[in-house]
Amino acid sequence: MIRIAAVGDIHMGPDTRGTLRPAFDTLPECADLLLLAGDLTRHGTVEEADVVADEIRGLGVPVVAVLGNHDHHDDRQDEVTAVLRDAGAHVLEGESAVVRAGDARVGVAGTKGFGGGFVGASAGEFGEPVMKEFVRLSRRCADGLRASLEKLGQEGCDVRIALTHYSPVPETLAGEPLEIYPFLGSYLLAEAIDTAGADLAVHGHAHAGSEHGMTTGGVKVRNVAQPVIGRAFHVYHLPVRDRVGAGTGTGAATV
Amino acid sequence: MNTQDAGSAGGTPAASSPEYRVAHLHDRLASGELGELGVRVEVRGGAVLVTGTVPSAQCREDVLSMVREELTGLEVHWDIVVSETASPDHAEELS
Repeated sequence: MIRIAAVGDIHMGPDTRGTLRPAFDTLPECADLLLLAGDLTRHGTVEEADVVADEIRGLGVPVVAVLGNHDHHDDRQDEVTAVLRDAGAHVLEGESAVVRAGDARVGVAGTKGFGGGFVGASAGEFGEPVMKEFVRLSRRCADGLRASLEKLGQEGCDVRIALTHYSPVPETLAGEPLEIYPFLGSYLLAEAIDTAGADLAVHGHAHAGSEHGMTTGGVKVRNVAQPVIGRAFHVYHLPVRDRVGAGTGTGAATV
Repeated sequence: MNTQDAGSAGGTPAASSPEYRVAHLHDRLASGELGELGVRVEVRGGAVLVTGTVPSAQCREDVLSMVREELTGLEVHWDIVVSETASPDHAEELS
C-alpha cells in the first residue's frame, strides 16, 4: 500500500511563512510522498516561491509538484520552478518522476493543464487566434500528460498517478458556479488519463468544488485544493495491484 | 446616437447597479494586488454575500477592506474563513 499525501492551492506568501511546516513535518509518519497540485504561490513571484521552498525543504519524503495559474501570474514560472527544484521538489510540466515507497516504484506524471470545459460544453479550436490558442494550450498539456503516463507504464511503475492543477472531470467542481466550469478544467485531461491509464488523479484549482470524482474510465479523481480538504494535506492509501501489463489502465485492466 | 443622460433615458446609472459593482469587485480582487480568485461575491435579494477561504488572516482583512470600499452603501453579509493548516486525522482507503 502506498501512502500519498496531497494538497493544492496553498497560495503562500510572506504572511503565511512557516504555517504549513509543522504539519508537513509529520509527513514521514503518515505518507510516502507529498504531491503539490499547483497554486503554491499567490502571484507567482520568486519571493513567494522562496516561502514555499522553505516549507518543503528537507521534509523526509519526496515532493512532487505542478504549478498552477497563480504561479504563472508574474510570468516567472521558470524561476519559480527553479526555486522549488532547488528545495528538492520534482516540478513537472509534461514530465514524470519516479519515487520509491518501500519496494514500490511510484510514478507521477504532471502538468498544470488548462481549461476548455467538459464533454457537451467544451471550447473548440475555432475562430479568433486567441481562442484557438486557448484550446491548443489545453491540448498540449493533455498530450504531455498522456505521454508521461505512458512512459511510466513502459518503465513498469507499480503505481501511476496523474497530477494536475486544472480538473480532468466536472464532478470535483460541484459547488462551483456552472458558468465557470470551462475555466476550471478540461475533458482532454481525463481522456489522456483514461487513454494512458492511471491509478489515481489528483488536482486542485476549484476552491469551492468537491473532493471526490471519477473519470469515465474509472480512475478515481481527488480535488485536494486546501479549501476543499480543510487540512494542510490529505492522505490516500493506494493499494499496489498486480499489473496485467505495462501501459494498461488500472480501472479497466485489473478489475 | 443617443445623447441623453442615462438617468433621463430610464436606465440605472451603471455606477450604482449592484451587479456591475460586484463584477468590478471581482475584477479588482483577481487582478489587483490581492490576486484573489477564491472569493465568491453574489447578489442575493437586496444584499451581497461574500464567501470563501483565504490563506491568512491578513488576506481576510485585505479582502474585507476592498469589499467595504467597493460596495459602500450596500448590505453585505460575509463568511470568509482562513485555510486550516492542521494535519489530517485520518487517511482515505482507496480500493
